[in-house]
Amino acid sequence: MKILVVEDDKATGAYIAEGLREEGHSVDLIDNGADGLIRASVGQYDVLIVDRMLPGLDGVSVVKTLRGAGNRTPVLFLTALGGVDDRIEGLNAGGDDYLVKPFAFGELSARIAALGRRPQMSEEPTILRVRDLELNLLTRKVTRAGQVIDLLPREFALLECLLRRKGRVQTRTMLLEAVWDIHFDPQTNVVETHVSRLRGKIDKPFKTELIETVRGSGYRIDA
Amino acid sequence: MRMPLAMPHMRSTPLRLTVLLILIFSVSSFASFGVAYLVIRKNFDTVLEEQVRQSIESYRSISDVEKLRERLIADVAVTDPRTMILQYTPDEGPRISNVTQFPPVSGFTVIPETAIEHNDLADSYLSLGASVAGGKLIVAQTRAQVIEMGEIFLTVILISLLPTLAIGSIVGVAAARQARDKIEVIAAVLQHLTSGKLDARVPLGADDTEDLSRIGLAVNGMADAQEASVASLRQVSADIAHDLKTPIQRVALLLDQLAGKTEMSPDQEEIVDRALDETDRIIKTFQALLQIAQIEFGHVRERFTQVDLRDVCEGIVDVFGPAAEESGHRLDLSLNGSGPFVVRGDKHLLGQVLANLVENGLRHVPAGGHVAVELSRDAAGVVLCVLDDGPGIPESERENVLRRLYRLERSRTSEGNGLGLSMVAAVCDLHGARLALGDNGPGLVVSIHFPSDES
Repeated sequence: MKILVVEDDKATGAYIAEGLREEGHSVDLIDNGADGLIRASVGQYDVLIVDRMLPGLDGVSVVKTLRGAGNRTPVLFLTALGGVDDRIEGLNAGGDDYLVKPFAFGELSARIAALGRRPQMSEEPTILRVRDLELNLLTRKVTRAGQVIDLLPREFALLECLLRRKGRVQTRTMLLEAVWDIHFDPQTNVVETHVSRLRGKIDKPFKTELIETVRGSGYRIDA
Repeated sequence: MRMPLAMPHMRSTPLRLTVLLILIFSVSSFASFGVAYLVIRKNFDTVLEEQVRQSIESYRSISDVEKLRERLIADVAVTDPRTMILQYTPDEGPRISNVTQFPPVSGFTVIPETAIEHNDLADSYLSLGASVAGGKLIVAQTRAQVIEMGEIFLTVILISLLPTLAIGSIVGVAAARQARDKIEVIAAVLQHLTSGKLDARVPLGADDTEDLSRIGLAVNGMADAQEASVASLRQVSADIAHDLKTPIQRVALLLDQLAGKTEMSPDQEEIVDRALDETDRIIKTFQALLQIAQIEFGHVRERFTQVDLRDVCEGIVDVFGPAAEESGHRLDLSLNGSGPFVVRGDKHLLGQVLANLVENGLRHVPAGGHVAVELSRDAAGVVLCVLDDGPGIPESERENVLRRLYRLERSRTSEGNGLGLSMVAAVCDLHGARLALGDNGPGLVVSIHFPSDES
């Protein structure tokens, strides 16, 4: 993917750029809002990573201006502030996702991947499928190898979330946000226990495990 | 110990002053009227004495006994005893008098009606007795005028005083009421200020020269200063937290890079992991401090919406359910009464509050214990309770645990940063909700009383 990083903190900017390049992305790094706005307008980027606090033109203004000009490139906001206000302000300004500094690189990488390849809304599938597992969104029935599996509503939602983004890592915080609409970090390992319950139903009775744990990051169902 | 005042109203200073003023005014009025009365009465008495003396003298000047007798007989016949009494007691012969019997007098004497034997007399008389030719003569003048004058004085006093008293009382009570209302407003504002509502102010009218308005002005000035200093304190702590976050954040990045790029022995890897965990904890603490500061600024209130606490509770109980089971706890939600349990607020913050309380419960209640979330309504509004059967919090510590970074001795070694309940308190404050920690006998009950949602 072609990614623009607008970040004034040199250490953070370099860290992000280097990490993303190592993953095979092409990255441009800009250290102020005004230049960032110009580059974002002219370059064809797949994802923009914008720090909220920038010298000169701040991140929110950059994104508001871009959206005003009709630019729909997905935006991930970075912020040193983590308040409730900041997240909603960022999303209202036209941001697509939001990450509070400091973050593990895995978290950023997973979120970028989710942003860059958003499913096309026009072709909404009714059945999500991976290998011998099928999840029917209409009948809300889940089967594996032809066997019907009873899932609780939240387990169903969790599985649906993993299947919709199959092949990509879903971090714990991403799952918390998507499945439970929880935007803070509980100190208890709540996601782990939910995933382990889900595994108990869809993986344990079968030979191959579909849900894979990605160390330090989260979970993934391979395509 | 001061004696309690009989009437609670008398505690109002303006009313007390009014009563005192009316009292002083009445006493001084009575006194001045009294003095005037005494002076005038003295004059009257002098005039009376003069009249009586002259009458006596006019009879004395008649030296012939026979002539005196004739004159007296004639005078007695035409003199009305109600205005004047004449009594001549000759050494020999019958008494000449217009009353049946007048008591003996010496010098000027005031004789009341009851001492005189006769019907239809005035109330009292000023009398003087003297020796005249061939006998004793008593002349007594009625004091009706003096008495009448006294009555007129009393009437004048009452007539002039009553309206004054009435008007004074009404104006005094009204002034006292107004002053009391103003004082009550000021007292209420001070109450708000001490309870932490720093935006409370005394409403001021156009006239700010009046003494109570000046006190109000002073209270507002004090509140402004207090609010400003609290705001700057918060700003400073937020700035410090923010400034410290950046270098720690860089340390975290460096550690992450180190872990990602360097081939390390398992021991080294463990050290890096532990360092990462520690930086993560520091950052989370800063994050929580910043978030509490942000909540206390109150800007979030502008974004409040209708939140059904039932949804919030179901979500949190659902997400923590398996984790609670895993740690051997029972976690459940009970709804008392029919919903909806709607409050005005921020659903994410309310969710975080509940999550903090549930996590606290799961952390402090030994395995096998029970953590219950309860929603109910009372007359005042929606009540959210989180109850457990764990060790509870001693009553003496309940205030302290709401303070930032405070932790009970027994929790020092466990997870948590001592900010969970501070965050809960800040969010409750933001929502105008009352937070109370109580005894569940055994265990802790945390109750949050939300105000009813009027809008």
